[in-house]
Amino acid sequence: MTSTELSSILSGPRQSPAPDWFRELQAKAWEEFEAEPFPARGNELWRFSSVKNLALDDYVAAPVFSGDPLSLARPRQFPEPAGRMIFANESLVRAELFSPALESAGVIFTTLADALEKHSDRLREHFMAQSARLGSAKFAALHKAVVQAGTFLWIPRGVEVRNPFEVFHLVQGDWAAVFPHTLIIAEDNSQVTMLEHFVSSNPDERGLGCAVNDLVLKPGSKLNYIGVQEWSRNFVSIQVNSTVAQKDSAALNLALNFGGKYSRLESVSRMIQSGARSDMLAISVARDEQEFDQRTLQDHQMPDTTSDLLYKNALHDRSRTIFSGLIKVEPGAHRTDAYQKVRNLLLSDDAEANSMPGLEILADDVRCTHGATSGQVEPEELFYLKSRGINDLSAKRLIARGFLNEVVDRLPEERLSEYLHQQIEARL
Amino acid sequence: MSTTTDSIAIDRDIGNFFYNVAATRDAGVGLTEQTIDYIVDVKKEPEWLREFRKNAYHVFNSKPLPTHWAGDELKEIDFNVIRYYLASGEAPKRTWEEVPEDIKRTFERLGIPESERKFLAGVEAQFDSEAVYSNVKKAVSDQGVIFMGSTDALKERPDLFRKWFGRVIPTGDNKFSALNSAVFSGGSFIYVPPGVKVKHPLQAYFRINAENFGQFERTLIIADEGSEVMYMEGCTAPKFTTATLHSAVVELVALPGAKIQYITVQNWAPNVFNLVTKRGLAMEEAEIKWIDCNIGSRLTMKYPGVVLKGRKARGEVISIALAGDGQHQDTGAKMIHAADETSSNIVSKSISIGKGRATYRGLVHVPKHLKGCKNNTECDALLINANSRTDTYPAITVRGTGNSTQHEASVSQINAEQIFYMQQRGLSEGQAMSLAVNGFVNDLVSQFPMEYSVELKRLIDLEMEGSVG
Amino acid sequence: MSSIVIDDLHVSVADKEIIQGLSLEFSTGEIHAVMGPNGSGKSTLAKVMAGHPDYQVTRGEILMDGVSILEMEPDERSRRGLFMAFQYPMEIPGVSNANFLRAALQARLPEGEELDAIEFYQRLYQKMDLLDIRREFTGRAVNEGFSGGEKKRNEILQLAMLEPTFAVLDETDSGLDIDALKVVAKGVNTICGPGIGILLITHYQRLLNYIVPDFVHVMSEGRIVRSGGKELALELESKGYDWLKARKPETVGAN
Repeated sequence: MTSTELSSILSGPRQSPAPDWFRELQAKAWEEFEAEPFPARGNELWRFSSVKNLALDDYVAAPVFSGDPLSLARPRQFPEPAGRMIFANESLVRAELFSPALESAGVIFTTLADALEKHSDRLREHFMAQSARLGSAKFAALHKAVVQAGTFLWIPRGVEVRNPFEVFHLVQGDWAAVFPHTLIIAEDNSQVTMLEHFVSSNPDERGLGCAVNDLVLKPGSKLNYIGVQEWSRNFVSIQVNSTVAQKDSAALNLALNFGGKYSRLESVSRMIQSGARSDMLAISVARDEQEFDQRTLQDHQMPDTTSDLLYKNALHDRSRTIFSGLIKVEPGAHRTDAYQKVRNLLLSDDAEANSMPGLEILADDVRCTHGATSGQVEPEELFYLKSRGINDLSAKRLIARGFLNEVVDRLPEERLSEYLHQQIEARL
Repeated sequence: MSTTTDSIAIDRDIGNFFYNVAATRDAGVGLTEQTIDYIVDVKKEPEWLREFRKNAYHVFNSKPLPTHWAGDELKEIDFNVIRYYLASGEAPKRTWEEVPEDIKRTFERLGIPESERKFLAGVEAQFDSEAVYSNVKKAVSDQGVIFMGSTDALKERPDLFRKWFGRVIPTGDNKFSALNSAVFSGGSFIYVPPGVKVKHPLQAYFRINAENFGQFERTLIIADEGSEVMYMEGCTAPKFTTATLHSAVVELVALPGAKIQYITVQNWAPNVFNLVTKRGLAMEEAEIKWIDCNIGSRLTMKYPGVVLKGRKARGEVISIALAGDGQHQDTGAKMIHAADETSSNIVSKSISIGKGRATYRGLVHVPKHLKGCKNNTECDALLINANSRTDTYPAITVRGTGNSTQHEASVSQINAEQIFYMQQRGLSEGQAMSLAVNGFVNDLVSQFPMEYSVELKRLIDLEMEGSVG
Repeated sequence: MSSIVIDDLHVSVADKEIIQGLSLEFSTGEIHAVMGPNGSGKSTLAKVMAGHPDYQVTRGEILMDGVSILEMEPDERSRRGLFMAFQYPMEIPGVSNANFLRAALQARLPEGEELDAIEFYQRLYQKMDLLDIRREFTGRAVNEGFSGGEKKRNEILQLAMLEPTFAVLDETDSGLDIDALKVVAKGVNTICGPGIGILLITHYQRLLNYIVPDFVHVMSEGRIVRSGGKELALELESKGYDWLKARKPETVGAN
């Protein structure tokens, strides 16, 4: 692809007045994007991936959203959010902070554009500061160069926000490309949860969702991030997550993947100070010819850090999943506890699950295990359910739902898991 | 347990000696088409093989070094200073008396003739490029079992040899299988007739004696329907200062109902690059089991595999790797399921000592529309020192609803409390470590024939004694 | 009154015949015990009645109120009123006990009719109290991480909730200590009555101290070799099974 073709995405001013450092960053990112080669077969980081899906030639900038975007968001809304922001085709439709107490406590919940204007220094330190290591550097550079719709959430020291912040990215129009961005900084001993939705208005429209979320956890903080990806079944979705956890902080990242014909999720957790912890969770429900391609890194840089990954895939029809995960324990990161588990439930004879769970351990006194299983509904389990009068189809559904629920049940907040159970239920 | 040791005295001295032996057949240094012509001419091989070798030579040149796997260590190999064929020009002898004195004393010192008398059904001993001794007990040959060097088999049993040669591992499988296909010499050929169960193991011993040398044996084992055979190989080389290359290709064919067990105890000197391709083809209800133990070498890259081609075929890889300071054991297994109700099992245990690195690399493939296939993989790594390293890189593909796979891996270290407990009972730290490590691999070691498991325990003891200081 | 008639039943697993011509009848309002040594085919009988796919009926019949159930799927048999308490209940990860029971009860309602959630919980809690089961149990995944006793109590809870016409209890006493056994027996005794027929499969006489059967059958080598009243169980207790093995079947069936 040449830059003139991509200029269709860039048509018009992409950014409201931004500081020079940001403009320079974007210009440099554009060069990086152009210099980086496209993922090709034979590249280990894209092993098993259908890279043919990644051509960018036909995408255009998202047009103006027609109709009522709120009606698209409404059935998905969390009952009592702390704040809510809705973007429709990259334009802000609504931004609300429901508790005045949050504002007086100094919480910042705003758009990227606004943050560039008012909180430039805070943004500058953390905005895409971590490199995309798992293969999508080209797409991360593109995102950086053209990002427009984004959220900046900053939780001051010691502030605990119980209700989740909620952000919607809605898209409409054939071949629309969107670049949702989220940056969350949890200061010392703060607590926060973010619930983010990616929704297409039409289940058939083609499109590109190239999203980045960066989570920064300062000492003693707790941050939960939940992303629900419901792009259309013809979308190409690329999501790049970076979590950086400082001393005694605890991150939890849960991805619920439903949409897209090809969805790539790259998630990196870096435990950069002792006592840091990261829980990495994902559920993918793959149907038709969907492909979910998930790459993870649990990077233990310091001693006494913990990470726990559980990814579950339910595969229907002719779908494919790819999981490639690495636990890396760097030299000196002693007393690391790291776990990684991927489980594939094959519900069709044409489905395919690829698992590459990996370990690289360069320290000792560690506890590391990983496991990957692929299987189907166990006949004995099925018989047990049927012996209680539940028919074959319902029994299989119940087992599949239970299989996925196990992941959601790991959330620390019951209202949230209850809400997600309902959301999953509605989509199965 | 973090016992830091800067230099670890590794005792692998069982094979670290050499006697000067003059070779009259020498292909010279470096690899060109002329090298291949020399080998073909001196071995008086048929023209089809000249063509086969030259084609392989081009494939070898066209393939990049697989440095993205094991790393840049491979670049230390200088293919231009290696000698690709060295031999005395004499046919292998049937009795040890006939073996030239200077060669015989090497094998005497390694204890091969003694083992043969005690418990083996047949022995082949290879010295650099060719077998110098090859003998199978009469009771075994009377059953129709063929056990000879590959060089002889090519001449004497071209019918059997050519039928399967290169069928399990094609030339282009990887860079080193191509290299072997270009310059192979020596290795064993075994044919076991239908229904024959060979009671005692057949053994081959591979010895590298020369410096700057590459050993490229080629082994082919065919177990006909319902037959059973166990093959063991051992290997050593003196410790030279320059890199030595060992790059074998081993193909196994287990016809319906046959069983092959292939046991390797690899104890190459720490300058040897051991880049080996091993694969078996298991037909209906056949069973192939690789028992693979890697102790020596600078770098080993070896992933024994089984293609499960017939219904109810079974494949197994039992692997032990000991990576000492400066060593990289990059080993693993491949299981290709290609028929219904096939099952495979992989158990891998590795121990990393000092700056040693042990890597498990696995491939399990269950393609479309098969039913009742199962794989179970277990990898356990033990880290002895704070700077030891271990990696695990499996890749598992499963399609459809009738199959199941399970992979589990864990990393652990020696429990300091355990060591303390044993020390309190009067054991030295080194003894306690040996006991603990032996305990870690014990369930696998017990699958080796007695003579080998004793040897293995001894090697582990030596290794552990050296690792604490 | 409903009845189950098993007539000249032959059952094979993987080409091996386990049940070799078994006949047995029982009706609602009755408690029957089937006893026998290990390997006599007791558990096979339970599984084949419930319709386990691994068991092939090669000859004979199982009739429920005159209708053959052999061609029916396990869920259809269940909805018709046949319940089996498993010797080794399955764990169903991620599916809560409450959701599981609701799904099972919902499956019994006509299309379009919804289970009343409030009523459901009232009944559930009542039965749980009866079986000494704590409230938080409803949110736990089915049998996951349960002790042996908890699993067996859960089987009886399901029995109580699903209210079948016939219940086959496969070695429900195995692995239970005396206190757990009493709780389970209490549960079963509460359920007993004119509306239900119970078949207790057990190795030991012990259970029959707490649940008193009307009839006792002894199984050996895939057949019923002797039938009698509850005193037969005591006789077995003192003499063991061996004295019956050599004998030909005297009475076939209970009545």
